[in-house]
Amino acid sequence: MNLNRRHVVGGLAAVVAGILPTLSFAQGKGVIAIITPSHDNPFFKAEADGAAAKAAELGYEAMVLVHDDDANKQSQLFDTVIAAGVKAIILDNAGADASVAAVQKAKDAGIPSFLIDREITATGVAVSQIVSNNYQGAQLGAEEFVKLMGEAGEYAELIGKESDTNAGIRSKGYHDVIDQYPDMKMVAAQTANWSQTEAYTVMESMLQANPGIKGVISGNDTMAMGAWAALEAAGRTDVIVVGFDGSNDVRDSILKGGIKATVLQPAYAQAQMAVAQADAFLTSGSTGVEEKQLMDCVLINADNAAQLETFALKA
Amino acid sequence: MAQKTLVALILGSALALQGCKIVKTPAPGATTTATEQGEAGDDARIAALLDRTYDAELMLLVAERALPVADLRAALTVGLETAGATHGNKGSGEGAAWNFAVKGEGRVIEANLTSRARKAMLDTDGDGVADLTLQLGPVIKGTSLRDLAPFYRFGDFRDQIEFAKLARALNDRASAALQVPDGDLTGKIIRFSGTVDLRSATDPWLVTVVTLDTAP
Repeated sequence: MNLNRRHVVGGLAAVVAGILPTLSFAQGKGVIAIITPSHDNPFFKAEADGAAAKAAELGYEAMVLVHDDDANKQSQLFDTVIAAGVKAIILDNAGADASVAAVQKAKDAGIPSFLIDREITATGVAVSQIVSNNYQGAQLGAEEFVKLMGEAGEYAELIGKESDTNAGIRSKGYHDVIDQYPDMKMVAAQTANWSQTEAYTVMESMLQANPGIKGVISGNDTMAMGAWAALEAAGRTDVIVVGFDGSNDVRDSILKGGIKATVLQPAYAQAQMAVAQADAFLTSGSTGVEEKQLMDCVLINADNAAQLETFALKA
Repeated sequence: MAQKTLVALILGSALALQGCKIVKTPAPGATTTATEQGEAGDDARIAALLDRTYDAELMLLVAERALPVADLRAALTVGLETAGATHGNKGSGEGAAWNFAVKGEGRVIEANLTSRARKAMLDTDGDGVADLTLQLGPVIKGTSLRDLAPFYRFGDFRDQIEFAKLARALNDRASAALQVPDGDLTGKIIRFSGTVDLRSATDPWLVTVVTLDTAP
């Protein structure tokens, strides 16, 4: 009990410390909370930056918070922002099932939530759910991967964090395409939890067990970077690596002839769209669009990598 | 007393909230019979949806709306949005492509029949240069068959997985029905109808074929 309480207090202290640097007290249209996973992954930082920029542009204060993919912490953050009386919540959630209650809690308190990146398993709770079409994006990545592999050979798959609905969706999208090619043989598949360091270790052991690997398809770019580092260390830069997200790190690797391809999720634009819809909802009572909205992903390879910057494609 | 009631109410509502059950909206094709809810029932639901709509609605739609290649090209010179609004249908979501039904014939300039995603590059305007690519399966890329149809709406499906399974099932149905002749296709005349998705007016055409005839 004591331990529990200390944990909660510690969590609150962290929350308060997290708020203070980004919250100023100017008069405006109120505060919009922006809650995402850790900014260690530049994808989530791009989301937060995009949302905060749009919020400022539309006359709101931004309160930027991270839940570190911990549903309990997310729940505490919701308590905090509800108590703080924010006008709306922009959320990249910490679990498709676990987040429904938190979003409902905000709704019950009269605070609308606008979800980005990840879906939740209920409709009618959030006002908007704007998600990248991960399945479509994964199919694009897999089509490129299969082409690069010459439709044949041994490959490994790095899977994302299980609690993140997109990990499973991407894996299914990959296999929807790859499994139509009987000469593509998956010799290893393992989670590296979206983590670059974990992917490095996993890739090392996959290589030891399966030296015949010709390609690696990864559920995201940070894991692709970890795998590529392990492949470089092992002198196996012949291995074809394809990622997902469209990070600047992978862009640079593609331009140097390292990783071969990735799939851009327009994270920055998506977060901005969510804030624009929040503003429309707050000012007119309606977003004017359906709750569930898809955004298509774009294949990035050597042909267009140079146009990629901070999860957006320059025209 | 009042305070106690309030506490009880709060506790009660908290418990009620935790006991909340999320009931999913049945997807199209769901019946009140034994079709399973959720992902386990996807294949059965989608098969039922295809049985109901593939020939009766989708093939009819392609046949009715298919523009001759030259007409669609002419419409596109005005701009993709205008051509799309008049002749096409936009897929669900931001950044989705415009989808058109198209028909025509042309000479095969080049064909790849060794890939699992077989293709024939066709010259439809007689200048000796291929101007579109026909997908001959068995692997078909894209979702233009699904996204041509205004009656397949993302919002009617549980999630992007179920919606994607519909696209795949439609592609599989189309590709299974194609009779691709054996041997080299180069030089042959092919008559086709199908669907194409475009994100810009100048995108190369990758046609998902639904009908195919060859002449020597």
